[in-house]
Amino acid sequence: MHDRRTASAAVHRLPLVKLRLSAGAIYVLLMALAVLFVGPFVWLLLAALKTRDEWAAVPTHILPRQAQWGNFVHALTDINFPAYAVNSLFLSTMYAVLVTASSAAVGFGFARLRGSGKRGLFLVLLSTMMLPQILTLLPTYVLFSKLGLVNTYWPWVLWGFAASPYLIFLFRQFFAAIPRELEDAAIIDGCGWTRIFLRIFLPLSRPVLITSFLLSFIWTWGDYIAPALLLDVDHTTLSVAITAWYRDPHGNAIPTVQAAAAALYVLPALLIFLFAQRHFVRSVVASGVKG
Amino acid sequence: MARTSWSRYSNRSFYLFVSPWVLGFLLLTVVPLGYAFGMSLTNFDGSSPRWRWVGIRNYTELFGDSEAWHALLRTIAYTAIAVPLSVAAALGLAVLLNRRLKALGLWRTIFFLPSVVPVVAMAIMWKLVLNRDAGIANALLHVVGIKPIVWLIDPMAFYALIILTLWGLGGGMVIMLAALQGVPAELEEAAVVDGAGRWRVFRHITVPMISPVIFFQVVTGVIATFQIVVQPLLLAETNSIAGVGQVPRSTHLYMVQVYQEFFTSNRFGYGSAMLWVFFLVILAFTLLIQRSSRLWVHYEVDTESDR
Repeated sequence: MHDRRTASAAVHRLPLVKLRLSAGAIYVLLMALAVLFVGPFVWLLLAALKTRDEWAAVPTHILPRQAQWGNFVHALTDINFPAYAVNSLFLSTMYAVLVTASSAAVGFGFARLRGSGKRGLFLVLLSTMMLPQILTLLPTYVLFSKLGLVNTYWPWVLWGFAASPYLIFLFRQFFAAIPRELEDAAIIDGCGWTRIFLRIFLPLSRPVLITSFLLSFIWTWGDYIAPALLLDVDHTTLSVAITAWYRDPHGNAIPTVQAAAAALYVLPALLIFLFAQRHFVRSVVASGVKG
Repeated sequence: MARTSWSRYSNRSFYLFVSPWVLGFLLLTVVPLGYAFGMSLTNFDGSSPRWRWVGIRNYTELFGDSEAWHALLRTIAYTAIAVPLSVAAALGLAVLLNRRLKALGLWRTIFFLPSVVPVVAMAIMWKLVLNRDAGIANALLHVVGIKPIVWLIDPMAFYALIILTLWGLGGGMVIMLAALQGVPAELEEAAVVDGAGRWRVFRHITVPMISPVIFFQVVTGVIATFQIVVQPLLLAETNSIAGVGQVPRSTHLYMVQVYQEFFTSNRFGYGSAMLWVFFLVILAFTLLIQRSSRLWVHYEVDTESDR
């Protein structure tokens, strides 16, 4: 079984399954698809560089006559963009640190330790990966408002401590593959599990730690519904702020400034993705192929 | 292995390590679900302290609620279209990329990129693209002589939502690509030697080999698509939770209806009953798909056991 896997990985760049298309046709097809996938980004930037009149002009102007960089200034000043960005950054970082730490510990427990009821617990864990989170969010919101946790960042602290099934699974897969000899030596030296985890396993899991941190950061950075429900105008995040608050004095939305704000908002997520793409690919594959 | 009374494992250390998740699961999943069930037996309106128990009245009302039924059927229809479409498209794209290509990494990045775009930015982008007067979509259609389409209201909003879903299929594509690369080349080669055409090899060897992955994509896709609420909300003209009532009919999915009961009608009890019914519906669908998997998913002999 193992031989097959490794052998096929080596030989496999010889794809037999393909549509009967010439090489040229494939590149044309890919190019056309790429335009569909990249197009919205380009259109967002073009909109962000137009005047309002130009944006609304009929027939449609593709390119702005003169780039309106002022839209970005408006995006940053019409609403308190920096403050919301700080809120988003703070919330995302805090959640990412907490959830990564807790998920690593739980993943370690499921991978290396034994206890009664472990099998059953692990099945529950796997099925909560499937549980639609949106179902619990509304009653959680009602509960949190009764407990006075609305307009605080405590919900994210709690969610962080509670670990994420998806990340636990990633850590578990990684820790389970580490040879036993490593912990044997430490146990002979008299180390307890906590020290084995902190001193040996955690440092080894650096790539998973990075993946987990970046994934959970992007989740929180991009989350709309939880901050929209739980946080007020002063505490909320960029994702809520840029959605609806760019208005002229008549209350009409200003699409060009909103486009500029959206470009600024999406930039950190895209940069993280571009620099850490292999981490994302690995985590997606680990969860989707073996899951 | 001879084991003395000493053991390196103890329940205490195991439960110490997994306690964050166990506690979190109990307090942040089980308790809210239970709380929702409690609420569903009341006429609680979200704020007033004067609520009372109404028994199963919310549930009986729900069964006669045509709005809720329509929303549920719409959600099932949407899922039945969007999930097969995006799984098939992800597989198609993966097949296209599973060959010797110049700049494979670049192509993969391009198709993967949209799947990390936050939903808020996604909605803003597509509202700009699909804008009736100023959007590029209608401008391009105009070039080929098609009249402007009003994308973001009924009935086209439904298709706009599908486009949005398809745009984010990059994660699925990456998974499919990895699965395709795991299909043993010898198998496909042997079939070709035996005279099978490429399509037959794909249909009868490649697809069965990766069917567990396809299955997983379908299950997670169905669950994720069932609970869609943010996308219709943000694509609508009044994009806020307070404006949930103005979501177009064609994208007024079940969870949108739930939010409307909570935040427009202030019917927290009724909304909670809707949540619980939906929970059971999703569970039933998942089990149904799981059952059907035996008919079409090809599993190899348990690979776990030979570790």
